[in-house]
Amino acid sequence: MLLEFLTNWLAAVPGFVVPFALAALGLLLIEKAGVLSLGAEGFMLVGALAGIGAILGLGANPLAALLCAALAAILLSLLYAVLVVSLRVNQVIAGLSLVFLAQGLTGLIGTGAGWVNRPVDGLRPVSLPLLGDLPLVGPVLFRQDTVVYLTIPAFALVAWMLARTMVGLRLRAVGDGPDAADTAGIGVSATRYGAIAAGAALVGIAGGYLSVGIARIWVEGMTGGRGWIAIAIVIFARWRPWSALAGAVLFGAIEALIPRIAAAGIQVPQYFIAMIPYLATLVVMIWTCLRGGGGSMEPRALGRAHLREDR
Amino acid sequence: MDVPSKTVPQPVREARAGSHDGAARPSRRRGRLSIEIRQHASARLQGVVLAGGLLAGLTCAAAILLAAGVGLPNLVQEFVVSIVTSPESVAAVLVQGAPLAVVGLAAALAFRVRFWNIGIEGQMISGAIAATVVAIHDIGPPALRLPLMLAAAALGGSTWILGPVLLRLRIGLNEIISTLLLNYVAFNALLHLLYGPWRDPENNFPNSQLYEPFEQLAELGWQNLTWALPLAVALLLGGWWLLSVSRFGFLTRIAEANPRMGEAQGLPMTRVILAATLVSGALAGIAGFMICAGAEHRLTQSFASGYGFSGILIAFLARNSAPGVLVVALFVGTLFVAGQSLQVFYQIPASAVQLLQAVIVLCVAASDFFIRHRLRWLR
Repeated sequence: MLLEFLTNWLAAVPGFVVPFALAALGLLLIEKAGVLSLGAEGFMLVGALAGIGAILGLGANPLAALLCAALAAILLSLLYAVLVVSLRVNQVIAGLSLVFLAQGLTGLIGTGAGWVNRPVDGLRPVSLPLLGDLPLVGPVLFRQDTVVYLTIPAFALVAWMLARTMVGLRLRAVGDGPDAADTAGIGVSATRYGAIAAGAALVGIAGGYLSVGIARIWVEGMTGGRGWIAIAIVIFARWRPWSALAGAVLFGAIEALIPRIAAAGIQVPQYFIAMIPYLATLVVMIWTCLRGGGGSMEPRALGRAHLREDR
Repeated sequence: MDVPSKTVPQPVREARAGSHDGAARPSRRRGRLSIEIRQHASARLQGVVLAGGLLAGLTCAAAILLAAGVGLPNLVQEFVVSIVTSPESVAAVLVQGAPLAVVGLAAALAFRVRFWNIGIEGQMISGAIAATVVAIHDIGPPALRLPLMLAAAALGGSTWILGPVLLRLRIGLNEIISTLLLNYVAFNALLHLLYGPWRDPENNFPNSQLYEPFEQLAELGWQNLTWALPLAVALLLGGWWLLSVSRFGFLTRIAEANPRMGEAQGLPMTRVILAATLVSGALAGIAGFMICAGAEHRLTQSFASGYGFSGILIAFLARNSAPGVLVVALFVGTLFVAGQSLQVFYQIPASAVQLLQAVIVLCVAASDFFIRHRLRWLR
């Protein structure tokens, strides 16, 4: 009985982890380059809409739809990059406005094109041949869809890139000390543009996975604050990729647990259960602050616009 | 020494832009764009740039509406003509403008001390819930009920912002995330109350019972304006005095510019920030009370939607000043009212108004670039 509940719950967890994980990874990329990314919710919303739109409007298969989600998020991120990198707009205002812009834009386009509440086929789990049949581990780790399988390699790729390649070094340099990087000949603006685009692509895929992989439907505002939670995850993980994955696993586990609490017959008012992710995020943030900044990989120039003439 | 002959014509060397005598440079006709930090921007320049940004934002907004299918004459009709000519529209703008102005003032007060209060909707909800507690449980004699509800709303809003501000002052927790998360928590609490204990037994909709007549803000007699409007004006006057005239306002300017220097001078910066944010929360709570007791006469689930970002927009466009808040609040009220009629007559969804607001904010924010930087074309 308990084993069944556990297997059931844990098998659902990876699906819920992926949006948090990919979004946190994308945000990590953007913030490591020194750009605050409060527009994460906006990128996710746009990705979610584009994913469903690609399936409903273009008849694309789910993976191609995720690609469309990434492209849509990249487009939106270009707007953000122009505002924040070239025009040096206050990054907090630009990020918040971008979220509301995306909310309004996706609402307008989604309801206008009639994509609301239309279920799609979406991503289906792909069971690995022998491993999928293992007793407990099978359903949890080896009977998930393609994107889940690709998440850990994605993390490995980004972590390796940040730590061990020249591209990653330049990105971190631009985030830690843009003036020094500029003196060394690294194009600060170009690097930031690239980081924003790459990060937004990942966040867009996370949003697309929400609508194409998990819910398989689109409604207005379906991201429900996950973008903000992803921002909190990055802070909680102190800007380290693998810690961000751990944070994403925590929140994915919480989110997978929520519907199962009610189904298990435990009587808690449903709206209090719905508050749990947000309260958990608060707790996690408080704990991060109390823990102190030791070992933090926070980019020292986070949030500061760079202007060569301002040195 | 050879003297150039005056009889033989010498070729005249024309001064060519971009080329220097003797310098080994590829001759360039084009110059380059030089960006410098402007040391000081005159008020006139700021006004011109702000107007330019606003105009650009409105043009983009109009373009979006045109692309969404609203014809140009209809656009002019809704946004310009009917607002000015029909009394119902003017009244609607004023009714919308009152809580918007209070919310804008709340945001402006918090932003003045560099506290990003994104939780305005949550504070509005807490304030409205607190006021509804007073109404539903019949606390106090009927004559005092409304002032008690007002006080409860202010208290509710302040309490909801107290957590984030203490966390920020004590442990440095980023207030953007904390206030925002509390929005979601407050909304879920509201849903729990409206679908549960406070559900209206008469019609089973997720809203509370109608308030008693003495619990509603009385009408003023013209159209459907209520005492919410004078209340908003009074709060704006108080806000103006607080921000521009009083010593507290001066201290907030120091908190905005350089709080560490303020601390070094022995000024109570922490207390100033705390006071400003608590008043900001209280104002947001009062705005929630104004909507529930003035316009809706009950507690509903979506009364606060859209006011959070509108408050930020108003404070940002008004540059955190009280008179500016008044003007911008009326403008945003017009946007809301026109947006509602667009919804009804042209099937433009409500999120379109949010989109327009965001576009306007982004254009004005982008135009700030021209205030802070001086652009020159160097040859």
